[in-house]
Amino acid sequence: MKTEPNQALRISSLFAGYGRFDVVRDISLRIEEGEAVALLGPNGAGKTTVLRAIMGLVKHRRGTIQVFGTEISALPTHRIASGYAAIAPEGRRLFLDQSVEDNLMLGALHLRRDKARVQALIESVYELFPVLLDYRRRRSAFLSGGEQQMVAIGRMLMSDPQVLLLDEPSVALSPVAVDIVVKALLELRKRGASLLLVEQRIDVAVRICDRLYIMTHGEIVDEMNPDTIGHEGIGMINKYLG
Amino acid sequence: MHRRAIPFVRCTSANSYAQRDRVGRPALSAKAGWGTLLGSRSLIVSGGPRLGVSKKNKGMITLFQVILSGLAIGAIYGLIGMALAISYYVTRVINFAQGQLLMIAIMVVAAISSAGCSPWIAVLAGLAASCVIGVLSYVVAVRPILAFDRFSFGWLVSTLGFAVVVENAAAYIWGPTSRPFPPLLNSSSLHIGGAILTQQQLLAIVAAIGLAAVFELVRRHTLFGKLGMAIAADPEMASAIGANITVVAVVAFAISGLFAGIAGILIGPLTFANPYLGDTYGTYGFIAMMIGGGTEKPVAAMFGGLLLGILSEGANALINSQASDWFPFLVLVVILIFTPRGLFSSGNFLLRLRPAH
Amino acid sequence: MNGKPVQVSTPVGRMGQIAARLKQAAGLLVVVGYVLLTYIVANLNLNLQSLVLVAAVFGILAISLDLVAGTLGLYSLGQGGFFAIGAYATTLAATDLNINVFVLLPVILAITGLSGMMIGAMSLRVSGLYFAITTFIFTLIITVLATDLQITGGTQGLLGPPFPDFPQSLTVLGSSVAWCAMLSLFAATALVWNIRKSPLYPVLLAIRDAEPFAEAAGARTALIKIGVFGLSASLAGFAGWLFSFLGVVSPGQFDWAVSLNILVMVLLGGINTTLGPLVGAAFVSAFPAVVNINPWLQEIIYGALSIFAITVFPEGVVGIIKRYVFRDGRSETIGRADQQEAAPVPLSRPNQALMQHGPAVDEIMVECRGIEFGYGSGPKVLRNVDLIVKRGHIHGLIGPNGSGKSTLANVIAGRLRPSSGTTTVRGSRVDRFAPSDRARLGLRRTFQAAELVRELTTRQNVLVGLYSSVPGIVRRAAVWPLLPSGRRDMKQMQTRAAEALLSAGAGDWTNRRVGGVPHGIEQLTQLASVCVAGPDIIILDEPATGLSTREVDHLARILSGLKAQGVTMIIIEHQTRFLFPLCDQVTFLNAGEVILTGTADEVRANSVVRQVYLGE
Repeated sequence: MKTEPNQALRISSLFAGYGRFDVVRDISLRIEEGEAVALLGPNGAGKTTVLRAIMGLVKHRRGTIQVFGTEISALPTHRIASGYAAIAPEGRRLFLDQSVEDNLMLGALHLRRDKARVQALIESVYELFPVLLDYRRRRSAFLSGGEQQMVAIGRMLMSDPQVLLLDEPSVALSPVAVDIVVKALLELRKRGASLLLVEQRIDVAVRICDRLYIMTHGEIVDEMNPDTIGHEGIGMINKYLG
Repeated sequence: MHRRAIPFVRCTSANSYAQRDRVGRPALSAKAGWGTLLGSRSLIVSGGPRLGVSKKNKGMITLFQVILSGLAIGAIYGLIGMALAISYYVTRVINFAQGQLLMIAIMVVAAISSAGCSPWIAVLAGLAASCVIGVLSYVVAVRPILAFDRFSFGWLVSTLGFAVVVENAAAYIWGPTSRPFPPLLNSSSLHIGGAILTQQQLLAIVAAIGLAAVFELVRRHTLFGKLGMAIAADPEMASAIGANITVVAVVAFAISGLFAGIAGILIGPLTFANPYLGDTYGTYGFIAMMIGGGTEKPVAAMFGGLLLGILSEGANALINSQASDWFPFLVLVVILIFTPRGLFSSGNFLLRLRPAH
Repeated sequence: MNGKPVQVSTPVGRMGQIAARLKQAAGLLVVVGYVLLTYIVANLNLNLQSLVLVAAVFGILAISLDLVAGTLGLYSLGQGGFFAIGAYATTLAATDLNINVFVLLPVILAITGLSGMMIGAMSLRVSGLYFAITTFIFTLIITVLATDLQITGGTQGLLGPPFPDFPQSLTVLGSSVAWCAMLSLFAATALVWNIRKSPLYPVLLAIRDAEPFAEAAGARTALIKIGVFGLSASLAGFAGWLFSFLGVVSPGQFDWAVSLNILVMVLLGGINTTLGPLVGAAFVSAFPAVVNINPWLQEIIYGALSIFAITVFPEGVVGIIKRYVFRDGRSETIGRADQQEAAPVPLSRPNQALMQHGPAVDEIMVECRGIEFGYGSGPKVLRNVDLIVKRGHIHGLIGPNGSGKSTLANVIAGRLRPSSGTTTVRGSRVDRFAPSDRARLGLRRTFQAAELVRELTTRQNVLVGLYSSVPGIVRRAAVWPLLPSGRRDMKQMQTRAAEALLSAGAGDWTNRRVGGVPHGIEQLTQLASVCVAGPDIIILDEPATGLSTREVDHLARILSGLKAQGVTMIIIEHQTRFLFPLCDQVTFLNAGEVILTGTADEVRANSVVRQVYLGE
């Protein structure tokens, strides 16, 4: 397997699953440095499993996963999370008993000895989501859905990862909150982040991403450019949902 | 803490039938070991530790005295309860060998000091021993089970088996009879408002509350403590932010062993060193944890322990000398029925009455 | 059974008969062998005999615990308490009141059973570890009472009553108490074996692993839990009755540590297996007799062995044997044909209501008015939701993730109680009905994340769905395989379940464990378990998730077939290409509110829908 040091993420023939059956079969995808890529598809298509496999949270997996040329598929989860990749998971999964700032600081666990870098990171998160600065002492359980999603994204950024993985950041958010999240992701793109976005909503994916992969039944069935989607209208909805 | 049943099931019942001792008395086995085993098991069945109020001055017990003595013994229960809760917090496993960690600390201190070392060196060695055995219990009895299935009850068998091994190894090495424990403090006592508190008791209360406070401060205000909270809440997500769960679990079991060891050293002068101490204190620590709600917040186990201590002492003093055998449990049942997660846990109904925001 | 008896199809009829004969012969052999064994035990020397008899008593206890821990997941530490009640009550009544021990037995069973039901009722409030603790305290209090009360003789205990000897003519049989104990053990094993062979067994496992599934199949799970716990307590009381004849009854023999030890036996031998508890009890009881060395070394070896055993065989000794010897059950015997191509067999039984009233098209089957729902003090998940579903319609429910679709399904099925609003099913208000009561009204549902018992086969899971359509499952469970009606019903149920799986398109997987099947097959199994009971209304929560394109097409055909029979359906689905052609009406939910209800075309053309999905 040749390495591509300029590719933020390169997955080749990935199989992953939970028991004897692979939920994800023979997935290959790539994210160039600074690129944003979406993974679209219906529920149960295996999108979340791809993200979990990248993080090493799925026990059974085969294939190669490289981050800037480094093979990470053999590493344990906590090593992958130490700067290679970070995830804002489905359902956000904040540490609800703890304050916003604690959640963020925990995100920077592997940088704990580098106080200055952590300080810079947390400032950049507060710059991205100014509202979190006001709420930083508040227990994260007492935040609204949109604010919780901001914390989840912030926590992901705190480990200063090379690849960002976002699992349906728009789920169950009000239109205003979706807008804030989208703008934040666009801002991250400006800062040069490489990200993989799993989405149900095409509009969100189209606003953020350079390329779209369509997944159904555990396989990538199509790869498309967001510019071409506008013309296809309802056909696209069906393609995506069916 | 539950080892006793095993020799009992296998021996007492079998032998009592075999020998058909029709005199109406359990026919104890002829083997030397069993008699002592059965003797010590009556600690749980019929006595429980009676360390607070001495029977002599029972006539003039004041409520204040009951509370002070209760706090002293409750502090010990609370420490063991916290020890159980700390390992449970990170792994969701109840370490049934917790009482044996306390016992190991006591036995090591007794053995080393009787060999002529300074008691303080002995204390350090005892604490180290209980930490090491605590970590060993994780490596041997907990980790292999969790690696197979995080939700199975297999740990119950393996930690119990570990307890059996530790306890009998201690009995094998040091013999089944009680040995002296070195006095660490002089035996003078304080008179506070008509109540008497020995220095040993005072030390227990102060040390337990101090340790609980330090633990809570560390848990809430250091990154490591917050990491522990994160793992308790969502271990998978914690590993996805870079936490090495195994390392944290090992540290938690070491701390848990330390707490049990400290409890042992605080109680040692009163119990002497006996390899069968573990069960009794393990059980009471367990009840302390459940009363308090230590499964959610370790420090709650300390409150549970103090409450349990006062209830036991109070029951002994006010109802009759055996009331501590059942009264605290009755209270525990009531508590569990009304607040299934314990009195001082975050989900209990007292706290739920508060507005959410 | 509803309707006429189903002809048992006999593709392998003769083979089946031979197999049945062989089974009977094997059963007879086991019984004869056991009687012989009992004879040998009854004539052993006292020392060895006592060892075996105590082991037998603990065998019964382990079986009683496995009944609740293995099948219901209630890890009880109360067995020691029931054991004590049985033993003390027998001893006191027999020696002080001179009551015949056989007259006493039913009384003991009733007393322990009732106290078991009271303790079992607590399991509805506390579960898991907390249930273990509550029962643990029960045992503790019983032992403390036994120690402190005058009548029970304190720590010394009491001498148990003598067991009546055989009449002169039968003395050749040996010790009467040995016969009693061995036969009791056999009876207890047979009882639990019967239950495991009855259709109640999959229901019990469903209560343990997937309670919503059992409830949705019409099982009153709370009552069943209490009842089974009572039975288990009765068994423990029975063991106590037996134990009192073996010598002295003293508090130390019953305390919580004994309860814990019984749990160790069950876990070591193999939880939720018929023979596992016996193996565990034999191991723990026989250990000191076999390994006779320095008592402490012996204990150390014992402890090390139990750590070793549970680490190497996490599922217990019998569990591991089962796993490797009987891998995934027997091979598929049913449905080897290519099911994917099979024409959709009518899944539903002829619909009674339909035949009575004829297809009254405008009749409203499900009606929700002003449903409001929120979890805890959080924001509302459903806001003033109205939904009307007419007879024979397929009603689609779409919307983005988190819009409240599944919550609405749970409200209709009765799993969630709305904070306000009313639900009507077939004209009757069901606001106060539990899910199981709604299931009995003919309302069935599937779950988004398939709620199934992973260690059972797909067919056994489908059997759960038949729970409310076969009468007397609970009543007959204890003697099921012995009853001709039980065997007949079981055969019919098995056939119906296999048929249902076949027509759902999962016929290839009939005897596979659910734990080892792909997600799509889980979905089809759920569908089969719902359809097998012939419901009037079905709620399907994302049935096409995880299915292959072919399976989705097949599913569409099944659903059309059901619709043709007059079954009303509410389908939550994301795959609109599959859903829309099926639907008479579609409701679009967004952020907990109904945006619109209309035909598929109207919904497809709606600007809000397009905006949410496409962002125009």
